[in-house]
Amino acid sequence: MTLPPPPASQDGLAPGRGGGTGEPSSALAPPLDPQRVVREQVWAALRAVARPDSRFHWDFSSFIADFEGSEACAERVRALASWDRADLVFITPDNSTEAVRHRAIEEGRRLLMTTYGIRRGFLYLEPGRVRPGEERYAATLDGMDALARPVTLAEISRLGTIGLLVTGGSAVNLEGLRIGKGHGYFDLEWALLSEAGAVEATSEIVDVVHDCQVVDLPIDRAAHDVRVDWIVTPTQTIRVDAGGHPLGKVLWELVAGTEFEQLPPVVELARQREGGAP
Amino acid sequence: MSGRLAAASTGRTLYSEVVEQIEAIALARPLGEETMLPAEWELAEQLGVSRGTLRRALAELEAGGLVRREIGRGTFVNPAARLRRVVWERLAEVALPDSRFGYDFSSFVPDFAGSERCAASVRSLDEYRRARTLVVTPDNSLERLREQALEDGKRLVVFTYGMLRGARLLDPAELPPGGAVLAATLDGMERAGRGLDFAQLLTSGPIDLVVTGAAAVSREGVHFGKGHGYFDLEWGLLSEVGLVDATTPVVAVVHDCQVVPDRVPHAELDAICDVIVTPSEQIRCEPLPKPSGLVWDRVPRQFLSTRPYLRDARQASRRRAA
Repeated sequence: MTLPPPPASQDGLAPGRGGGTGEPSSALAPPLDPQRVVREQVWAALRAVARPDSRFHWDFSSFIADFEGSEACAERVRALASWDRADLVFITPDNSTEAVRHRAIEEGRRLLMTTYGIRRGFLYLEPGRVRPGEERYAATLDGMDALARPVTLAEISRLGTIGLLVTGGSAVNLEGLRIGKGHGYFDLEWALLSEAGAVEATSEIVDVVHDCQVVDLPIDRAAHDVRVDWIVTPTQTIRVDAGGHPLGKVLWELVAGTEFEQLPPVVELARQREGGAP
Repeated sequence: MSGRLAAASTGRTLYSEVVEQIEAIALARPLGEETMLPAEWELAEQLGVSRGTLRRALAELEAGGLVRREIGRGTFVNPAARLRRVVWERLAEVALPDSRFGYDFSSFVPDFAGSERCAASVRSLDEYRRARTLVVTPDNSLERLREQALEDGKRLVVFTYGMLRGARLLDPAELPPGGAVLAATLDGMERAGRGLDFAQLLTSGPIDLVVTGAAAVSREGVHFGKGHGYFDLEWGLLSEVGLVDATTPVVAVVHDCQVVPDRVPHAELDAICDVIVTPSEQIRCEPLPKPSGLVWDRVPRQFLSTRPYLRDARQASRRRAA
């Protein structure tokens, strides 16, 4: 799991899915780091095809944007063999994965999602909860909040195995390494689901991105970074030779003293480790 | 090294304790009055801290808007900020989180248990029945009301969050059957609605009714937003361009715990409501004068550069003046 220092909000970049106010940042940039440069180049290209967020508008540092062609991505995800096998799917709360959530709900699959920034833990949507005709509503973050129910890691561990995980991101290279938005949410989600026993080394991870987010650049890999198995864009399905995934672990020494420490599933896991009541 | 770190960390703890203590003093004052805090030397003595620590704490509270310091006069508690803080504590019991902002009430106006009763209550108002086109603010507390209004065949003009991308038009004639539930949410109106540029906004009226949420509202009808002044800005813009005037009815939909019985000192630009609707009552307010138009030198400069409507409205007002 990647755990850079907590967001320095004055650089206007770090929060990723972690929060912003929608007000454009006017601060000047501190010295450049290479990931930041790539991220900004990708964002500049993304602006032409992205769809704004209902709260954060065009502030890509606060959310992962939906884009033209995400519906085609959803069709490509549906064509994967692992989609057929996955009765339980985990999909990140990114706008770019909304179309995939829509398909999962339409097809009556059980759906797990985190809340924005993992701040209120995980949500679980069972097929019977959505009235016919309201699948599209249910797929939005607002709809998920209204219809899905919060679940603890203990409850997740009883739901069965998650065969497929779908995430969005700022950028990804052809080795399947994602460029973090600064927080490493997906890496933490993988670690939490691993610790709950909800994923297996053979569970497949799909990264849904626009073609302009696929970069042909080496990315330094941290030990806890999770590589994706598939990169799906509106025009291509790329199989990455990920060679399976080591199950994740929450790295407590990195969590200590960060905002991650307060996230409900992290608190739950910490209590369990201390042998206290779940 | 570790000694210095320990000292720094203790310093931080002491300092945040001082901030909390002054907050408690400020929040304990009666709501209806603009009050002063004790003099700095007195506060420092009372809390047992240095003047330096106290001043830093006051500076932080001032940056957060709770107090205002006037050189040579003292420290005043900002009544609107205090009101919000008091109401937010009550609201936490009944509020529903936002899909992005969670429970950070300074970033959004939350939906609450009973908002569907408010929507049903608004339906009984003559102002609503007669209305064909409504302006509804993008508050979560109005989600059910937006859905109902669309089902009732009314057109809605809804500002995007913070007005950053102008407003969107939700027209029931353009929605698929059963589409109101999606269109009524902020996420859904991005898909189901249609963006209005400034020229289209100007021809979207006449606006028959304005419905807003609030952080708090006084029983006499003064509207207090979450602190950004967005509704004041929306009302200011609508009246600036002639879409609303003093006769346009304004309904505030809030939880009972957001209605403050006291008279609260308010600024001349604070928005005014005619009717307050809560899950348990309808309050008709005595008419207060409504602010009219935008006061350009009071609009933050940053707002002008980031909000196309404000830029366009300003150009139009300059053309009129020329």
